[in-house]
Amino acid sequence: MPKKILVIGGGDGGTILANRLAKKLTKDEAEILVIDKSDLHWYQPGFLFVAVGEASKEDITKPRARLYRRGVKFIQDEVTAIDLDDRKVRLKEGGSETYDYLVIATGSIQDYSDIPGFKEAVYHMWTFEDAQKLHSQLMRFNGGKLVVGVGGLTYKCPVAPLEIAFLADEFLRIRGVREKTEIKYISPLDRPYPPRLLNKIMMENMRERGIEPITYFTVDEIDPVKKEVRSMEGESLKYDLLILTPPHKGADVIINSGIGDDEGWIPVDRYFLNVKGYDDAFAIGDATALPTPKTGVVAHFQAATVSDNIVYEIRGLSKRTMFDGQSFCLIEMGRGVASAQVSNYHYKDAPGLIPSRILHLAKLAMNKIYWTCILGGNI
Amino acid sequence: MSDVQPTVTVDARDLACPGPLTNLIKVYRKAKNGDIIEVLATDVGFKNDVQAWVNRTGNELISLTEEQGIIRALIRVTAKR
Repeated sequence: MPKKILVIGGGDGGTILANRLAKKLTKDEAEILVIDKSDLHWYQPGFLFVAVGEASKEDITKPRARLYRRGVKFIQDEVTAIDLDDRKVRLKEGGSETYDYLVIATGSIQDYSDIPGFKEAVYHMWTFEDAQKLHSQLMRFNGGKLVVGVGGLTYKCPVAPLEIAFLADEFLRIRGVREKTEIKYISPLDRPYPPRLLNKIMMENMRERGIEPITYFTVDEIDPVKKEVRSMEGESLKYDLLILTPPHKGADVIINSGIGDDEGWIPVDRYFLNVKGYDDAFAIGDATALPTPKTGVVAHFQAATVSDNIVYEIRGLSKRTMFDGQSFCLIEMGRGVASAQVSNYHYKDAPGLIPSRILHLAKLAMNKIYWTCILGGNI
Repeated sequence: MSDVQPTVTVDARDLACPGPLTNLIKVYRKAKNGDIIEVLATDVGFKNDVQAWVNRTGNELISLTEEQGIIRALIRVTAKR
């Protein structure tokens, strides 16, 4: 009997994992199912480029069903409950699915509820629609106070607020309104970018471009009428355009099924990614409670670990691979350069890479090879 | 060691910077004046980070100790508006 492997979520983690399994296992060894409510797959790093008018919907989406290898069955539906003890998930359209192995790749969702005024006042690029709205605002902006930065914790992609700060600066220069614009970058920490060594480079670049860092500014509330953002530390800033990271939480199904923490992140073993207390259920990507950045690259590496270990187990091998917390972020900085940060569980003060043209080209190349190499489970 | 009982504990052991401070800020958002937040951390930079954060936010650092590599900060919330 083939083992039934159920993957909830067809984002990059779920897709890479399913394709890696299908590449290695025969249909006699495994039946692989991916369930996702949407039939479209989004390349989420592309939202940044949508915000500055350099990418369209066609550049960053593909029909989900076309992305899977032979051997993967895609079901368009929504999982409404997960029962880890009964090895069963319930589907919105009715019925349920059982499994021998479960991989939860349900990602994260935005949750503005803790910050009054956020929904009304803030522009951002964490969805395609929001990125389009931000682009319209940047096109319309004719100078004034631009406040950009970290709006709430936790959020996806730690480097994204810096990237949009740099790209907005460049975009407004090209439009000829930068001299009439004051840009402030807010962060709840004592520095704009958390890794200390690369922060120095980021600070130098911000200074050179006239972006003022405002630290220890934890957004508490926003007054969309007075156009004022206030911090828990007691400061306030006026804005004409406000670009902030939206706070995120785990998917509703995780919270409703009682398998996450109070923000809906799933506790997993940090090396093998099995849901704590279970050896047949795993979580990858944004869905986990691990102290790793919520980015596609982490989901990719975790998908490789979990898929390899499922293959080993099905084949009765004792070999196992471990996830070491590794992340790699290319940081787009405008002006044709990008920087990069590598980190894992062990190197706590890992150096970043200085801004360079080659890293910018790597970022652009990633926009292409994501579809051709990465999602297919080839690397 | 202080015998003050924490209202909430942030277990940030094994988290690299800025994990401990980030988790402290998330708990602080929901805290009320008078609450005691305990933070446990192993990131050596957290000692400086938490002192700077308390100074900047105007809350009270009741104690900051280190035992067998585990840093324990006890913070009394006093500066919530």
